[in-house]
Parts: sequence; structure tokens; C-alpha cells
Amino acid sequence: MKEKYIGTRAIRPDTLAKVTGAARFTADLAMHRTDLLYAKALYPPYAHAKILAIDTSEAEKAPGVVCVMTYKDLPAAFRNAYGADEPDKPILAEEKVCYEGDAVAILAAETLKQAEDAIQLVKVEYEPLPVYEDPLEVREIHPSPIHKDHVASGDSPVSLSVTVKNGETQPAFDQADIVVDHWYETPTVDHAYLEPDVCIAEPDPIQGGITIWSPQHAIQNAKQDLGAVFGLPQSKIRIISTVVGGGFGGKEDSTYDVSTVAGVLALKTGRPVTFEFTREEVFRNTGKRHAEKIHHRLAADKEGNLLGIDVYAAIDKGAYRSVDILPYRASYYAGGPYKIPVSLAKAESIFTNHPYGCAFRGLGVPQANFAMESQMDYLADTLGVDPLQLRLQNIARAGDRLHMGQVMLEERGLGLEECLRKAAEAIDWDHRTATHFYENQGPVKKGKGIAGFLYGIGTGSSPDGAHCLVQAQKDGSFNVQVSQSELGQGLLVAMAQIAADGLGVPIDKIQVDFADSAASVFAGPTTSSRSTMYVGNAVLDACRKMRERFLGYAAQMMEIGVDNLDIEDGNVVVKGKPKQFLPLSAVIAGAYTAQIPLAAIGSWYPPRVYFNETFTNDQMHTYTFGACAVELSIDTRTGLIDVEKCVLACDVGKAINPSTVEGQMQGGLAQGIGWSLMEEHFFDHGRMKNATYHDYLIPTSMDLPDLETIIVEHPSDLGPCGAKGIGEPPLVATAPAIRSAFHDATGLFVDEIPLTPVRVMKALKDAGRIE
Amino acid sequence: MIPVSFILNGKPVRCEVPAEETLVDTIRNRFRLTGTKKGCGTGDCGSCTVLLDGTAVRSCTLLTGMVEGRSVTTIEGVGTMDHLHPVQQAFVDVNAIQCGYCIPGMVLTAIALLRENPDPTEEEIRLAISGNLCRCTGYQKIVEAIQLAAERMRTTGEEAAR
Repeated sequence: MKEKYIGTRAIRPDTLAKVTGAARFTADLAMHRTDLLYAKALYPPYAHAKILAIDTSEAEKAPGVVCVMTYKDLPAAFRNAYGADEPDKPILAEEKVCYEGDAVAILAAETLKQAEDAIQLVKVEYEPLPVYEDPLEVREIHPSPIHKDHVASGDSPVSLSVTVKNGETQPAFDQADIVVDHWYETPTVDHAYLEPDVCIAEPDPIQGGITIWSPQHAIQNAKQDLGAVFGLPQSKIRIISTVVGGGFGGKEDSTYDVSTVAGVLALKTGRPVTFEFTREEVFRNTGKRHAEKIHHRLAADKEGNLLGIDVYAAIDKGAYRSVDILPYRASYYAGGPYKIPVSLAKAESIFTNHPYGCAFRGLGVPQANFAMESQMDYLADTLGVDPLQLRLQNIARAGDRLHMGQVMLEERGLGLEECLRKAAEAIDWDHRTATHFYENQGPVKKGKGIAGFLYGIGTGSSPDGAHCLVQAQKDGSFNVQVSQSELGQGLLVAMAQIAADGLGVPIDKIQVDFADSAASVFAGPTTSSRSTMYVGNAVLDACRKMRERFLGYAAQMMEIGVDNLDIEDGNVVVKGKPKQFLPLSAVIAGAYTAQIPLAAIGSWYPPRVYFNETFTNDQMHTYTFGACAVELSIDTRTGLIDVEKCVLACDVGKAINPSTVEGQMQGGLAQGIGWSLMEEHFFDHGRMKNATYHDYLIPTSMDLPDLETIIVEHPSDLGPCGAKGIGEPPLVATAPAIRSAFHDATGLFVDEIPLTPVRVMKALKDAGRIE
Repeated sequence: MIPVSFILNGKPVRCEVPAEETLVDTIRNRFRLTGTKKGCGTGDCGSCTVLLDGTAVRSCTLLTGMVEGRSVTTIEGVGTMDHLHPVQQAFVDVNAIQCGYCIPGMVLTAIALLRENPDPTEEEIRLAISGNLCRCTGYQKIVEAIQLAAERMRTTGEEAAR
């Protein structure tokens, strides 16, 4: 295959429409319709309360109101429960509310204003219940004070518990010269995508189904999950996700929070209904990155070799299960990218009355890596060695085993060492002058830090695989139909680049039909940094099938051996004889008359994984590696940290489109800096105290430095042209790199993020560095 | 309801709105110009930025009644898919766009900046767009796009014609 488009900075087709305002997001689609009902929902003023009575009579009489519903009004065929992993979240709360995003009543009215006015007329009597916010406390309460007879966890306060057990750790800790033993804490944070969650639900009068337009990550999963909710065959659910205004994992689940409400009202009224969250509702109701408390013990010898880890992670699950593979991830990534002979790593997700924890770029790995990389800095400090050298000494190279026993394979692309060296070089690591507080003159202290990571591509849950449909048109153009979503990451251009090269046609002959369940086959979600590798491989597979068919038929037409033919630039050409060719359009048209099908399904599966009892199997087959290096300054008068330089080197295997790869790297860094320095949700009795952009701060252009990206390419033999994935990895090492630089500047380790001025001043004060 | 007359993308328009209606809702609901996005409704995110007599303002914190007699420019009044404004072209060329939700507001803010200051420093660009939140890009390529647009516009003088 000739790589004509792969590896180039091909322009993304969606950018023209986005830059002119012509691109219609879901709320824009709603705005251009005149036949919609508008939905609103009533949410409780408590995070945990019994519902004693609901009175909807006034709301029902309000002008324009077409339908008011509580759980009692749900048709018997409906299932009052939904969720990405397990159906445990009610569309409408029944006996009690478990967090402040549980809808108690919903209604539909002719105008949005009428709906807003009417929902305020619903009266609910509550009996407040004790609110549970600390996972470590609530895990000791049996049975769970939050869920009774939970669909997956019964009466347990723990949603899911996973323990990686690889060998015996006790001897390692007995032999160790050094045991590094610390607790780490990370905050609850919001995706803060700019586009609020929204849905249009329209009943299909022709065949009795329903069509859902809603921005999301996984249309085919939604088709499956919503079928049971609406009491409809899954085949009758059509899901369309037009361009998504940012997702970062959150819209994998939050789409259900709006589409269940709009869908129920649409099916009940027989009319199309739209439901859009306000920004405040997005903050209060939708999923969050899980807060974690991690107890990490690391055994090492005095030469700095890692001997074993013993880790416990308590994960704030929030009120519902949502995407709950966090314990797998927290335990699986507990040892970072290092060779570690033995391991005991346990992680539990524990129900609280907070918003549900869901997928968020990195899905538990940033938390785990923060703890492990922080441990490495403690160890380097104890040994008095260079933190970079300690890492280079311990990273898992070909043939080495990670803590859970996985052997690293050269053919999968192992670029961590190159990433660490290049990132370090970019901040002139070897010439650090400013080590520690007192040598670092003046009130503004400067420091440098570095951290590394690995990140597995794909969900790791077998049998994960991808499929696509490719259809040839008789004019020589092609439809590539994928179920993936365009979230801004550049799906459309990457798939077009891969298909154009896979087929040998100009890129403008490729139309990527995306995220419409009626025009794609089940292919898993647009998550876990998997689309490039999984769907890209599926597209290549379909292209290969197409080429075989059309080259075979062209060989008959041209009366020449098929091995002498190739497809280049939309023509079937005789190799070495550029003047002898047939337009591909003629070949396709001819093939059709010869009863050769013009459509093919392409498929790809990674190596199959079977979980064992100790979770020591190879859950991931390919890793993206990276290293983040930062230079920062700390004003010891204000506690403000200024990241002055931030570099990320990532081994992506092969950059299908370097421009979109850089975009992912820069965006991930920005979110990583936000997570490290400023983002944090606060709760009072489970009620969010900062539910606006006013007081939930994400980085502005003034908060960020130049974000420097270095693309490293150690190809994986499994990827399309060696490509791995890059969606999530970029933010995995930012926090430990910043913490490391903070230590370099002040001589102090802080084990909690974000490093807000309050935490910085407290750390300086506790250490006696300031008065 | 109050009557309001103003210039919208160069054309005189008239509507009747409730006194509490904000400009973003008027633009989107009444004139169906959905290029202007509503990200927060509280004046924090900048997605709803429009130009009011050439100045970038947040249309979600501006009552429609306040634009009486004034000139409002939305993203639809800036360039078309066939004929992009140089700022738009630069955003496309450097791939400064990811999800795209913040982009109309970002482009209008950049246009207002470059009218005032055709040769801004990086710091001036960052300051100008600091009220426009972007969650996807880390602003890196957006800053680069505005620098590229400024350079091109200084060379060609294209903006002067608009």
C-alpha cells in the first residue's frame, strides 16, 4: 500500500463548516425545527432524600403543557433504569433521590419558556437522609446506605472491587532497603465540554420505533441500551450523533441523562421532543472524573531497583455505576511503565451521594499514574539520584515484565525511553540550576519536572473489535460507514486518509458516513483511544476486500494477470506501464453487471484476552508511551503556580495525521494542567458548590504556556501502518510532572492535587517556609 | 414585548421581543442564525460572542433591547464556505479547530482584535481570547492561527475591504 495521504496534514473536512457556523450541532438542529415540544425536568435540592409526595396538578394546568410525568406515569413496558455498564439509574426517581441529578418529575410543553415556568409548579415533599461523601467511611457501612438490591452489587457499599495479584509481595517488602509509603488524593472534576448535553427524540410513525439525535461517543451501544429502556426492540432505535461539541468521555453516559427523558416524553406524546441541559444542569447532573484516595507502597533496593508494589485505591463512584471499569484500570496501571516483579494492587469503587463517576479522558489512568510517578520522585529523593535516571533505570524494555506480569514486546513499539530523553532535552533537564527552596533565590521559585507513562489502546475488554461498511459507487467514489463519532479529534479526516490509501483513490472520492446507527454496523464506542487502531484496521480490511474484487474483475476485462495490476489515483493501472489503465469507475460499473457486490464489511480484532482470577493477564496489547516535562515558577507570596514551559513527547506508533495528533496532545496537556492546578468540585452535603464556569475554573489562554509537542514513532505491528492511539494519553503524566517541578522548586512534596494557591500556601506554611 | 430595530449582518431587521430576552436567543431563535453558540448563558464561556458595532461582546449577557439602532455581526456575516475571511482560512489551515463549538466566538474575537491591532504579540492575542473558553485545543493552534491571519492580512490588506 502506498502511503500518499497517511502521514500528511490533510485538512479536516468538518473544519470549514465549523469555522463558518454552518455546522449544525444537535441544539442547532432543534432550533431549525418548528414541530418540537420542549422538555424540562425537576431535580431535588438534596443529594440524598426520601420522596414523600409529588404533586404535579398545578404544572399539568399550566399553559402549553402537554404532558407531565413522574415514575408512576411510565408505561409498564418501559424499564425505569439505565446506565452505560449496568441499568441502575432511574429515569424518574421512585422512593428516593441518591444525588442532586436524579430527576423527580419531567414535562413537555409547546415552548421552552412554558416548560421552564411549568416545572417550577411541581411540588415535592422530601425527607432528607444522611449524605455520604467519603468513600473510605461509607465502605464500612453494611448494608449500603445508598443502594438496596442494586442490580450489580446487591446491598454492598462497594460497586466493584478488583485485585491484581502477581506473586508474593511480602518477601519483597521484607527484603527492601527502602519502602516508600504514601497516600495520594485527586479531585472530582468535570469534562466541561462547551456543548451542553442535548437530545431530540422523534417517534417513527412508520415502523413504530424512535430516532434519537444526541451528541455522544457510542451510538451502537446507545441503540442497545435504550431499547430496553423504551421497551422497544433494539432494531427500532435509531441513534444519530452529529458533530459533537466536546465529549472527553463524558457523553458516553450523559447522553442517556437527556435522551431517556426526551425519549420517554416523545413516546408518551407521540411528538418530537427536545431536551437540553442548562450549563448548571451539566455540572450538577452529569458524570465526573472519579476522585480517588490511593495508598501506594513501593519496595526498592538501595540501587534503585523496584522490587514490588502494594496499592489500595478507594474510588468515589458517586451515586450510580455508569462506566465502572475504574477498579480494573486503577489496579492495572498501579505500577506505571516500570518493570516490577511482584504486585498486589486492589481498587474499589464505592458508592457516595456525589454525581456518578464516568469515563473521562484517561479513565482512571491519570490518577494511578499520578500516584506511581509521585512514588518514583520520593524514591529518587530518598536515594539522592536524578529522577530521570531512576526512571530510565526501571522502565520496562523488550522482554521485561510490568507489575501485573505482562511482557513488553518490541514489535508493539516501545518508545518510552526516546520520549523521556526528548522531553528532558527540551527543558534542558541536565542543567537544572534551581534545586530546592533556599538555593532558589527570591520570592519566586523556579523548578523543572518530568514524568512518564504508558497507556493501553482499546478497552481491554475482550472481545473488543471493530467493523465498518464500505460501499463502492459506480462513479468510482466510496462511502466509508463507521459508527464512530466526530468529537473534534479528527475521525473523519483520519478515516478518509486511511481509506484513500487503502483503496488507491483520491481522498475527495471518500465520504465518511459517521455516527448514524442506520448507516453503520456495531463497532464499539469512540472511546479508549481506539478508533485509529481498531476502526482504521477495519477500514483497511474492507478496502483490501474491495481491491481484490475490483482488481480481479479488471484483470478479466484487461486480460492480464491480476498480480500485474494496482489501483492508483482512482485508476486501475498496469504496473510499470503508466499509459495502460482503466478508470476505477468503469471497473466498478462493470463489476456490478457481473454480479459482484459493491459493498464489503471490514473487521478487525486485537488478540483475544481472557481474564484470570488474579487479573495478571495481558489486558492491553499495545501501549502508547509518553513523557511530560515542565518548567514552572511559584510565587511564594501568593501561592500561584505559573507553568512556563510544557513539553509532551508521545510515541504514537505512526501519526496518521500529525496535525490532529498535535491537537490531541495540546488539548490533553491543557486538561492535564487544569486537573493539576485549578479544577476541583466542592460539595456541601453532596450539593455542588461550584456549578458554573464562574467558579469551576478551566484553563484560559492566559493560564497556559506554549504547549510543545514531540511526536515519536515506534510502530506497533498491530496498528494500521503502525499507528497506535492518542486521544487520551496526553494528560496522563501532566500532574506528576508538575508535582515534580514543584518539588524541584521548593524541596516539598505535595500528595494532593490540584495545586491551588490554597494548597501551595498550606504546604509552604506547614514546612515553615513562609510565616 | 418591545420592538427592536437593528442591523444584523449588514441588513436592517426588526423584531418584537420580551424585555428580558437576550441577544443570543434572539439571534438563534428568531433569526435562526445558529452559528452563534450558547455554551453557558452566564457570560463565562464566550461561545456566544458577536460583534456589536465591531466590538466583541457576549450576546448572552446583552438584552436584545440594548442593540436598538446598532450593528450586530454574527459568524454568518463574516465569511462563507466558498469565501472565508482570512481569520477563518487561517483557523482551517493550521487545524485550530477541534469540536468547533467555541470557534465562531473565537473567530469573531480574533477579527475584532486584528481590526484594533493588526500586528499583535502572542501575549496580546492570548489576552484578547482569554474570555473565550476552549476545552479541546489548549489554545496553541488558535494562537498560531491568529498570528498567521494577522501576517496574511498585513501582507494582502484584505481586511481593509471588509
